[in-house]
Amino acid sequence: MLKLIQTEFLRLRRRRTVFWMLLAAWVMPLVGVFYFGGDCRSGLEPIRFFKWASFSYTAWIVLPVVLGIFASMLMVDENRFGILYQFWIVPVYRLSFFLSKFLTVMIYALCFMLVSAAASLISGRLFGCITPGLGDVVFLFRKCLEIGFLTAFTIVPVLVAAGMQRGYLLPVGLTIVYTFFGFILLGVNPFLHPISSAMEIVLRDVPGVVLSRPLNLPAAFFCIGIWCAGSGVLMSIRLKGSWI
Amino acid sequence: MNDYAIETKNLTMKYGNETAIRNVGLHVRKGRIYGLLGRNGAGKTTIMKAVLGLIPIASGEVKVFGERIGERKKWIYPRIGAMIEAPGFYPNLTGTENLEIFAKLRGVPTPNAVENALALVGLPYRDKKLFGAYSLGMKQRLGIANAIFHDPELLILDEPTNGLDPIGIAEIRDYLKKLTVESEKTILISSHILSEITLLADDIGIIDRGVLLEEAPLSELTKRDRRYIELRVSDVPKTVLILERDFGLKDYSVQDDCTLHLFDAVEDIGKIHRTLVLENVAVYESRHCSHTLEDYFRNITGGEGVA
Repeated sequence: MLKLIQTEFLRLRRRRTVFWMLLAAWVMPLVGVFYFGGDCRSGLEPIRFFKWASFSYTAWIVLPVVLGIFASMLMVDENRFGILYQFWIVPVYRLSFFLSKFLTVMIYALCFMLVSAAASLISGRLFGCITPGLGDVVFLFRKCLEIGFLTAFTIVPVLVAAGMQRGYLLPVGLTIVYTFFGFILLGVNPFLHPISSAMEIVLRDVPGVVLSRPLNLPAAFFCIGIWCAGSGVLMSIRLKGSWI
Repeated sequence: MNDYAIETKNLTMKYGNETAIRNVGLHVRKGRIYGLLGRNGAGKTTIMKAVLGLIPIASGEVKVFGERIGERKKWIYPRIGAMIEAPGFYPNLTGTENLEIFAKLRGVPTPNAVENALALVGLPYRDKKLFGAYSLGMKQRLGIANAIFHDPELLILDEPTNGLDPIGIAEIRDYLKKLTVESEKTILISSHILSEITLLADDIGIIDRGVLLEEAPLSELTKRDRRYIELRVSDVPKTVLILERDFGLKDYSVQDDCTLHLFDAVEDIGKIHRTLVLENVAVYESRHCSHTLEDYFRNITGGEGVA
């Protein structure tokens, strides 16, 4: 498995998009500085800034879209250029192959959220918006890792859809629709969509966040689990004929 | 002890409702080169995919090294090197980087296996050129390098010389021959080019429209490469009588009302002409012809497509 994950990253050599996409982690922290412009002078509660910079739109929209594109990059080329046969005759097990893709997405998601956490801290400090204590910093990094971890699971359906395609158009388009659908459901019924369910889990203990409905963690985990399981079944049905 | 590296029994494969391969019985003997010859779309690649277990079979059996290929026989794969269809690699990586990925996955113990394989196919090691910028010939070479770098016992190569220049074709051919002679490797190779197969293979299987029409050693097939005389005469029955009575000829075939093919009378043609004329049989035409392997393949595959 470790070899497979290593080779996943080797395959991404010279794909500059992978690094450029990490810069998207800076978007919300920088927007936050402008948004809180006036409040920055009078000093801002660090958690309030972090909520804006890393726990909201970054987690709801930016990260899922970036991960959807990343997942497409991992899956599409092998279908498109007929590379899969070479893997099957190594042989690489289909479960290992798919799992390595998922773990690569998770590693990237964690890296992205670490960049987001660092960006929140640097931009907040640099523009004098916040003066965080150790507890705030630990909370920020813990939450960012949590978001990265959970969002990787929510991207499994996109990973599967990308695995069935030879082009980028459909998986990337699907990512955008899927992400916005999750964002919309966040305020309606978060237990219908993995992204909104993941956010329900993430926001459970963020100070200052008041949920409009009672917290239901089992339902949120069930929603993510059922989408992942369904995607896994779809993938195995689709590939049954062409895999060893 | 099984003498076959690959053996299929009544192998049938379908794509949807269309039968791609019908009751194919392939026998690839160990240490030999087996050439699968057929026109484009005859089913060569499908057979190779079936042998590798890449596509599900409708019915029949595939055995590799005496074992049925399938989910629980993954230990067979490290003993096989294969290149199926156009070789696919990552376009953003160099040839060396692409091979290093597969070397890592295969856990190849030899440290310079990739370098040696690239040298064998005439590609530079650690070159900066990306696979996306490779010519068709270079892609083929890299595909062959990927098939051989882990030193497999069995090589399955689907039209490996496609896109190679004549020198490259000769180099690959020599290398493959060397592999069977020196290392006793078994090779299954497909092509639609007759001359290429006859220069390389020990055994030949001819496939057409999904049916294996013939499977025989090359030496046996070349016996069908025969010279003959085509004779056009006024009276075929009388000519046959004369040929049998006066010349003792038995090896001939009657083509139509006025044409005969004489297979073992090449030396006596002058005498035959004189005798026929004296017996009042008019000889309209007499010419030397030959039945080449190509004619034979054309006949059994029904025409064009085998170059």
